Amino acid sequence: MTDTKRIPLWLDTDPGVDDAMAMALLFALPQYDVKGVSAVAGNVELEKTFQNARDLVAFFGRKDVPVYQGAARPLFREPRTAYFVHGENGLGNVQLPASDAPVEKLPAWDALYEAAKAADGELILVAVGPLTNIALAFSKHGSLHKLLKRIVIMGGSASWGNASPAAEANILCDAEAASTVFQSGVPIVMCGLDMTLKTVMTPAELDRMGQLNPTAKFLRDAAQHGLAYSQAHGIDGMALHDPTAVLYPLYPELFSGEEAGVAVETKGTITYGKTVTDLYSDKQFPFKNALVLLDVDREKLVETVMDLLRRY
Amino acid sequence: MEQRKKPIPVILDGDPGHDDAIAWVLAKSSPLLDIRACTSVCGNQTIEKTTYNALRICTLIGNHAPFGVGRPRPLVAEPIVVPTVHGKSGLDGPVLPEPDFEPCGLDAPALMEKVIEESIDPVTIVPTGPLTNVAALLLTRPDLKKKIARISLMGGGIAYGNWTPAAEFNILVDPEAAKIVYESGIPIFMAGLDVTEKALVFPEDFERIRAVGNNVARVVAEWLEFFYGFHRNLGYPGAPVHDAVAVAALIKPELLTFKDLYVQVETKGDYCKGCTVGDWYSVLGKAPNVSCIMDIDRQGFVDLLVEAVKTYD
Repeated sequence: MTDTKRIPLWLDTDPGVDDAMAMALLFALPQYDVKGVSAVAGNVELEKTFQNARDLVAFFGRKDVPVYQGAARPLFREPRTAYFVHGENGLGNVQLPASDAPVEKLPAWDALYEAAKAADGELILVAVGPLTNIALAFSKHGSLHKLLKRIVIMGGSASWGNASPAAEANILCDAEAASTVFQSGVPIVMCGLDMTLKTVMTPAELDRMGQLNPTAKFLRDAAQHGLAYSQAHGIDGMALHDPTAVLYPLYPELFSGEEAGVAVETKGTITYGKTVTDLYSDKQFPFKNALVLLDVDREKLVETVMDLLRRY
Repeated sequence: MEQRKKPIPVILDGDPGHDDAIAWVLAKSSPLLDIRACTSVCGNQTIEKTTYNALRICTLIGNHAPFGVGRPRPLVAEPIVVPTVHGKSGLDGPVLPEPDFEPCGLDAPALMEKVIEESIDPVTIVPTGPLTNVAALLLTRPDLKKKIARISLMGGGIAYGNWTPAAEFNILVDPEAAKIVYESGIPIFMAGLDVTEKALVFPEDFERIRAVGNNVARVVAEWLEFFYGFHRNLGYPGAPVHDAVAVAALIKPELLTFKDLYVQVETKGDYCKGCTVGDWYSVLGKAPNVSCIMDIDRQGFVDLLVEAVKTYD
């Protein structure tokens, strides 16, 4: 494949067990030209997500991809983590070798902006953590919205939440940032709970994955901590939340959704972080700013994940 | 001999409105309900119009239970009236008889209070408009909660809204009142948009109702036609008879699918004011406070309406 045909892509992430799988898939796809990875506080603190992002990139054999440090906390709210799913170190308490790649000094929002400029309007941004870094990039760089081709987000829900009754975790973590991103004018693909909770990989499938090779075994092992939590909460398996966002641009046929107006609530007392969509309502927003994914072919998705991980 | 079930004493509280009207036609038709009072609330239209409409409906269906008039505005919020849905009168369409009786002179919450106090059995309230009157009752007489068997209401939506993307009209009009009702601890049946937008009466069903032949049947068919006019433009294949589901929940619950959820009402927010937030995944681990109605046997519902109009002369 020639370089010109590859899709320039940026990943913003908070690894995170499903983030790790998203990264593994990203680097298994030669169609993607990964310009950079940025870390944000989310599932665990920034110090850990940044180190995990660096270590994961190295572990997947792509030390050439620069990893940038982003925001340590949401724009206005206190940080909220999810240790119960991702373990003390953010990777299900599985230890990776420390990356010896040089530490990038440029902040995430500047690095993203530079990459967007260089990609000439073609950069796809995949954001699978709280949207703090992206909001900061939009805030600082007034022309960034004209430079991004699309933002694929893992976050939100067109119906109900799982981190609060009304909100999904990534949006709940920083609703003001999410609101900035949804209002940015860049076309958005929303991989929300409506779709991602239909992607649950069973423990048996995870075990089968773990037998493929050491990379896949690491992903399987890292998932065990969160698996116990999920099972205690009635989900027998691991939802592939973040991997769907990485796969969507190359495998849109696995998914279905609808164009909608989406607004993020930042003022409500019990609805902070709700992604309000007009999909089912008589009343429509005066804009359509997102493709809200609602369904997925789970069997084909799992098969695709297995096939891609076999490449390691 | 089969034991006859004692009728449930009910108070009908609404802002008629075509679907309120049909809900009341259904309630009056059922031997399972004993209508102890009717009250008006401002919602679809001003309190003057909803009161006049309510009295005309009661006259049409021969319901002369004591009538109490509601206050002219929600507890805290500004009123919203919706001539687009129900017409300028709030109940446009067929000509109705002029009221043949007067309100009893007690304000709506005071009448509710009197009926509940005087009833031997706990009373069920059926609000099909904003919850202003019910909230006023609960705020002023919290001691009467134990004599309220249930509140079977039309309002809200677990998955979506209609008057805003997040909120349903009745809750949006008086979200503070709704919050008081939802937090009251009284058992609640919630006929929200999740089910009521499936409670569709199709044009061919209008004809079935009209063919019953009596005056009430003719009026109900014409109400449905008028109500459908607004909804057809939004792409509905029929008229969603929202409010009648709150009555059906009491007389024919087997037509409905219930899901018990912990539900809170949002009273603030840029987009979510009036949103009924259901804790679908039990994130908060709280005991359910609402039996949310999520689905309906549509054909059974239409059959129920047809049988209801047959009971009239």
